[in-house]
This record gives sequence, C-alpha cells and structure tokens, in this order.
Amino acid sequence: MSVTLRFEGKEISAEAGQPLAVALFVAGERVLSRSVKYHRPRGMFCLTGHCGACLMRVDGRPNQKACQVPCVDGLVAERQNAFPSAAFDVLGITDFVFARGLDHNTMFTSPQILHSVVQKVVRHLAGLGTLPDEASRYGTPEVRHLDAIVVGAGPAGLAAATALGRAGRRTLVVDEQLRPGGSYFAEPSDGAAQAARAVTTAEDAGVELWSRATALGWYPEDTAPGRAPGVLVVGRPDRLAILTADRYIYATGGYDQNLLFGDNDRPGVLPARAAGRLLSRDVLVGERPILVGQGAYVEALANALTERGAKVERVDGHEKRLVAARGRSWLAGSWVAGAELNVAGQRQRVSGDAVLVWCEPTPASELPRQHGAAVELRPEAGGFVALADEHGRAAPSVWVCGDVTGYLGPASAALAGKRVGEAAA
Amino acid sequence: MKILVCRCEDVTLEEITHVLDRGFVSVEECKRLTGLGTGPCQGKECMLACALLCHAAGGGAHPITPFTARPPLSPTPLGALATALTTSLTTEDDE
Amino acid sequence: MRPLDAVVDVKRAPPRRDVPMPERCEIAIIGGGVMGLGIAYQLAKRGLTDVVVLERGYLAEGASGRNGGGVRMQWSTETNVRLMQQSIALCAGFAEEFGINVWFRQGGYLFLGRSEEERRKMERNVELQNRCGVPTKLIAPDDARDLVPELSLDGVVCAAYNPKDGVLFPWPFLWGYAQKAEAAGVRVQLYTDVKRIDVEKAGFQLHTNRGQLHARRVINAAGAWSPEVARLVGVELPNRPHRHEILSTEPLKPFLKPMVSLLSSGLYFSQSMRGEIVTGITVPDHDDGTVKLGSRLRFLTTLAKELVRVAPRLADVKILRQWAGPYDVSPDGRPILGEPAGVPGFFLACGFVGHGFMMAPVMAKLYAELLTDGEKHPVFDECRLDRFASGDIQREDMILG
Repeated sequence: MSVTLRFEGKEISAEAGQPLAVALFVAGERVLSRSVKYHRPRGMFCLTGHCGACLMRVDGRPNQKACQVPCVDGLVAERQNAFPSAAFDVLGITDFVFARGLDHNTMFTSPQILHSVVQKVVRHLAGLGTLPDEASRYGTPEVRHLDAIVVGAGPAGLAAATALGRAGRRTLVVDEQLRPGGSYFAEPSDGAAQAARAVTTAEDAGVELWSRATALGWYPEDTAPGRAPGVLVVGRPDRLAILTADRYIYATGGYDQNLLFGDNDRPGVLPARAAGRLLSRDVLVGERPILVGQGAYVEALANALTERGAKVERVDGHEKRLVAARGRSWLAGSWVAGAELNVAGQRQRVSGDAVLVWCEPTPASELPRQHGAAVELRPEAGGFVALADEHGRAAPSVWVCGDVTGYLGPASAALAGKRVGEAAA
Repeated sequence: MKILVCRCEDVTLEEITHVLDRGFVSVEECKRLTGLGTGPCQGKECMLACALLCHAAGGGAHPITPFTARPPLSPTPLGALATALTTSLTTEDDE
Repeated sequence: MRPLDAVVDVKRAPPRRDVPMPERCEIAIIGGGVMGLGIAYQLAKRGLTDVVVLERGYLAEGASGRNGGGVRMQWSTETNVRLMQQSIALCAGFAEEFGINVWFRQGGYLFLGRSEEERRKMERNVELQNRCGVPTKLIAPDDARDLVPELSLDGVVCAAYNPKDGVLFPWPFLWGYAQKAEAAGVRVQLYTDVKRIDVEKAGFQLHTNRGQLHARRVINAAGAWSPEVARLVGVELPNRPHRHEILSTEPLKPFLKPMVSLLSSGLYFSQSMRGEIVTGITVPDHDDGTVKLGSRLRFLTTLAKELVRVAPRLADVKILRQWAGPYDVSPDGRPILGEPAGVPGFFLACGFVGHGFMMAPVMAKLYAELLTDGEKHPVFDECRLDRFASGDIQREDMILG
C-alpha cells in the first residue's frame, strides 16, 4: 500500500510501514542531516536505531531516528541543523576552514570581547533541532510480572523464548525494532522469511511478543508493588511499561560499528549488515558497491548483491586496504562516489556508489551490565562481551545469549538461545 | 580529510590521539576530554573504537572498562515518565 | 576486520596511572576535584609549588564532574552571598586566564515560589542580597513568564530573578587548574587512593595504593569522601554524603535563558551551551552514610512530573542520560573549614553541599592566602568544625537539587 509523505515542500510516495530513512533513500534523498560541530553531511548508517546518524524532525518532533519511524500517510519530515538547507548548508564551510579540526576547548578564549561574541555565536550554533511543536499525551505505565522476559527478538532471543514457552513459562519478548527478527533481517538472502519462521515458532509456543518496545534500563532500587526490588523499564510508542520477572534473558545482540578511515562519516558509508537490511526491504544499496572485509557474512552479501545485478568491488582488508571514502566537496553535500585504497603499498582509486564495511558487531551489553553481568574486552568477538557460566547464567536470575556474548551469527546464536532458554526454564 | 571516531559529537581520531598522547588512556578520560560518547547514541557506535585505541596506546596494562551503563538506553520523552504514578513504585524510604 | 585497521600510530606519555609518586612534599591535597585542584593552582600562583594532589580516580570522577554547572549569588546568608560575588567574577575571567573555554553564560537564575511562606523567605533573602550589592529583583509571576515563555504559572505566587547568576560547564575548570598547576611544578597523581595516614610530629605519612608520601601539611578536599579521609587522622566529621540525581536531554537550539528553580521541590533546570536541558530535583533517599551513585526510576518519574507541570511544552523533549553525584552535606548547609582541634596541619575544605563547585574559585584563593601569608578571611572562623558543638550556627536554606 502506498502512502504520501511531505518532505521539505515535496511530496514523496512510500510504502506504508517502510522506515522513513529507507523511503527517503529510495526517493533519492540521501543527505538526512548535518553534524553538530563541522556541519558535515550525514545520511543513514546502521538502520537499527543505534547510531544517531539519521536524526530528523518528524511531525514537529526533533531528533527522531528516521530508521525507526514507519511511513504513514501525511507524515511530515524535515532535516535539522542546516541553513538554508541540508543539501546546501553554508555552515559546512566550518568543516573546510577547520580541515585539521577545531579544538572547541581552547578556541577564542581571549581577548575578552572576542570571547564574549564567540560564546554567543556558539550557543546559537549548538543544538540539534528546535523545541517540539506540541506536547503529546502519554498513557500511564503498564505494570506487569512475567515468568520470563526476553530482551531482543533476534535469533537468540526468539529461540530462548520458544524454549521457555514450550517449558510452560509465561514469557514476554520485547524488541525495539519495527518488526521482530533482529539480525535475521540483515541476512543477505531470505532474511525476512527466516525472521517470520522464528517468530511463528515462538508464537506457537505461547510466547507474547512486543515490537517497538525498547528496554530502557534495569533499575535495581525501584520496586513494583508486591515484588522483589528491581524493575525493567520498557518504552513503547505512547507509554512505558514497568516489568518484573522471575527470569531475565538478555539477547540484545550487537551494534554495527564503523571502521576508522578518511571521511568515514560520508553518506553512503554503511555497515555491511545495513545493506543486508535494505535487501530485506527489497532495496538495493547501489549498483557498484565497494565491500570491505572478509568472512562468511561478507561472502553471502557479495553473492546476494551480485544476484541483484550489482557489480561488487571487493576490498579484503589485507592485500587491499581502505584508506578513505571519496566523493564531491561538502558544499554540494553528497553521497559517496568511490574509495581510495592501499593495494600492496600503492594508492589506488576505485569508483563506487556505496562503501560497505564489515566488522564484528559490538555486543550490546549495557543492559546485562546494569543487571549485574560482568564483561570482558575481546576485540576478536566484537568488543565488551557479556560473561556467563556454561548455562548462560550471568547473574542471579539473569541469562545472556547470542551475539551479546560475542559475535556468533544468526545460526549459532539461535542454537545458543535454545540452550540458554532450556537452562533458564 | 577527517577520520571520525565519534560521529554524534564530531570527535576525530586526531583529537583522541592527542588525549592518549598525554597519558589519558582510559575510555572515561577520553570521554571527559573530548565529549566522545556524550551525544544521542551515548557511545553505541564509538565506545569500542575508543577502547581499542586506549589499549593500543598502552592503557591495556590495566583492565580496559567501558563507560558506566546509564539509563535510558534510548532517548525517552519526559512526558512518558510524567504520567507514572510514583505510588506504583516504592523504595526503602516508603516502608 | 577491526575498527582500528586504519593506521594508528600513538606515541605516548606514560599512562596517568603509572606516573611516578614523589616521596615528600610540603602540602598534600587529598581530592582532585575543583576544590583540591583550585587550591593547588592558587598555591602555585603564590610560589608554593611543592604540592601533590592525590585523586583516587580519573579527573572529574567525583562531584566536580557530575554537577549541573549552576553558579549563583542568591543565598540566604551574607557570607555565601559575598563569597559568590567574588567567585562569579573569577568564573567570568577563567577562559582568558587559563586559555580554556568554560562556557560561562550569565542568563540569570529565576526562583519561583508556591506559598506565602516562600514569598516571605524570598523577600528577606532578596533584601539581604541587595544590601550586598547583588541586583536580584522580586518580580511578579507574569514577568517570570516574559523571561521564560514556556512556564505554566500553576500555583506560583512569587518570583525572584538575578540576571548576573549563570551556568557553566564544569569539566574544563579541572583541566585548566590541573594544567597550570602542573606547569608550575605541582604534581597531580591520579588513580591514587590514600588508605592510611600516620600523624607525626612534623607532618603526615600518607600510605597510598601507589606508594608513600610524606607531607608537612595536608588538605582534605575529598568532598563526599571527606569524612572517610578525616577518620584516617582520627577526626569525626558531621557531614554526610547525599545522592543527587540529574539528567540531560537531547540538545536543542537555544530557547531557555535563565536557570529556573523551585525551592519547594528542589527542581532546577537550565539549558547548557550544547543545548541540552540539565535538570535535577530532590528525591528522598535512604541515608546510610555511604556514597551512592546509582540511578533510580523514581528520580525520573518525580522529576518529569514536576518539570512537565512547570513547563508543559517540554513533554516531548527526550532524556538522553541520567546519572548521579554526591552532595557533601553539612548540618547547617555551610562548609567546614580550618584545622580541627588536635590535628594541626590538617586542613578541612569540605561540607560544601550543592555549592562546592561554584564556591571553589573563591575558596581556593582564600585558602591559598591562608596557607602562604597567613591572611585569614573571616569565613574560616565562621565555618570552623567546633561550631557544631558550641551551637554557634547560621543555617543556609537556599539549597537546590
């Protein structure tokens, strides 16, 4: 079903329910914002609401994650922090003038008169977005107790919940994305179908599932009436939920990361898994993507993109290394147009219309940590992995499974989730 | 040409390196001195890169720890909290 | 691939945790917050550079790194009013003196009251402030709305406004003080925890996790941890740590000029230079004498309810992060200064409640004067430790947060 959006005076057609950032990408609107300090153009990045790259003003509310806003008829979207427009932002000159960077800590501290003027200017340049137009009404929070709560409806979370449901535990899964399935949707072939199967299996096991439900924090000192201390707060579109359970299973997965290279924040530089997520929405990230990295995921993505007719430039990260993203000058605010590589010591330029970078997603371990889990820095597994015993137990009443314990990929994460769900039941 | 470590706050690799060079080789110190991790994503995209940089700069002699995990894990409207009946939550003081 | 596969060549000074410990010094300052570092800087400025600051964690780990940056002259005791006049003048000149921006903005503080009793207190305090030369004015609630159009005046009966009060960003103060002090020869030891102090005839032997240090004089500037430190020399202090939670929102374009506060609930909110609303409120807490820094949902709900009542337009503004910091609370709301009886050479610079940061610039100067040329500002007598035993106290009641 098609809906109409209003974007800065233009009308744009989109599929109902499509994330706003994807709808704009398809419509050719690729620069979504300008950065706080240097006014560098920015576009979408992770497509999962974790990175802060696609913040826009939607229906009069500032700083909405465009990848988490579903398209509905009449939606009004605008870009922020740019004058006269994000496509041509005169303040982009800051990035050019301060090519080596601007240390805001030490700039213009004297003489006093210059300092006062600069302070005023900085204040007016600061901030992303203006006050919301209105004040919405919110419902009162729902308070519930479950046998088990699973945070994350990805491969591990759905498998864990299924095991708990089959063991007769009243189980609720909360997931922050628009649709449940987590990293299944990043799978280059068949992602949506894999997600649907896992969701159906869980629902058949009697599991309750909330989408657009973000676990915001574990609060050990707050107490729901009649319960032991500690509550899990979940944010839903128009109100909160305050939850308690006998068992908490954190299957929060991992956040996509960027690599460090020149102009790595250019629109068109995306994590490899974002290209997979676009495929699950039937969108091709580009005709000539440059794909950086090695391993099973990268191979599968390269094949899937090629099958869709893309010409994929492979950069393995060893013989061929990524030095910088390339594109037009900032004043024109544009999408990536290629990359600079280091090939056995020689500089080489390649053209392309997307730069896709792969590295192991970093475990999303904040919630387990708040709830008593320990972490350890393991770079080869993605970052600070949540630690657990052989049953997946990380702390009293707390289990962890899947990529949050170190990158596994969907198949292994699902197996781990099943084992942990059985252990926790 | 800039290499961005923290996209939300426009913190470059050069800035982080400058901090590390002065012996501040922990994630918390990098955060305080550059603002890395204090923007809308609260470090989801950048904290790991910072931790690895600290490690490479000699901070690995002592355990590298992430910044304190504070709620909310996603930006949350004041209005959604304002409707909570505080009587539905108790703390020790109410006993 | 790892994020670091790009070229990274980091040449380094030794990690701060490994900077060698000296063996002796003239003055050891326990606590590397704004008070300790400020005093170290002011001592160095007066030529006394044989100083070691001992900070248990990283710079800005304590209250100095956690506060909302409010700076005001509106107080209910003359000493505080006059001290803060001086401190604010020092804040205004900080960027130029230290070459570091502190984003000090004098947008004023607007206090709102909801009862006749509050109105009487307000009138009395404004009169005191005016006598000291502070331009606070009592204004009608409608005039408060001219200053802050987003206000609902629900229940508000009185208001006071001093345009010269303001907000700043606290962290750069620490860097400025530390850098200048170190450049002058002061040593700042981070990650250094004092575990034991031997009181000797001619000084103190400090035992830390990183070695021993002998100091002729010691300053206890450990804030919420000052009672722990005082116990190391056998002194019992009456101040206790109270947790105060705080949050910041998404950064927005500037719209809020003053800091707004209600004493009845302890609510305060202001807009930082980055555009975030920084705000806190008083929430009852179980006082067990320990320093608690965890976050509670109850803080968010209490604050949100009051803030949305006072400024309904903020309902859709999003919270990015909540955290907490300790107030070092003395029984009368005023600091504890000077040498306690029986331990000469051990100086107290604590008990500053929720105004330690804003008082540090002037207090550091006064303390350095005392320790170098012996000049003693009257505040040192007014705020001596034994006032609690003798009952000679004056209570400060304009406390926020």
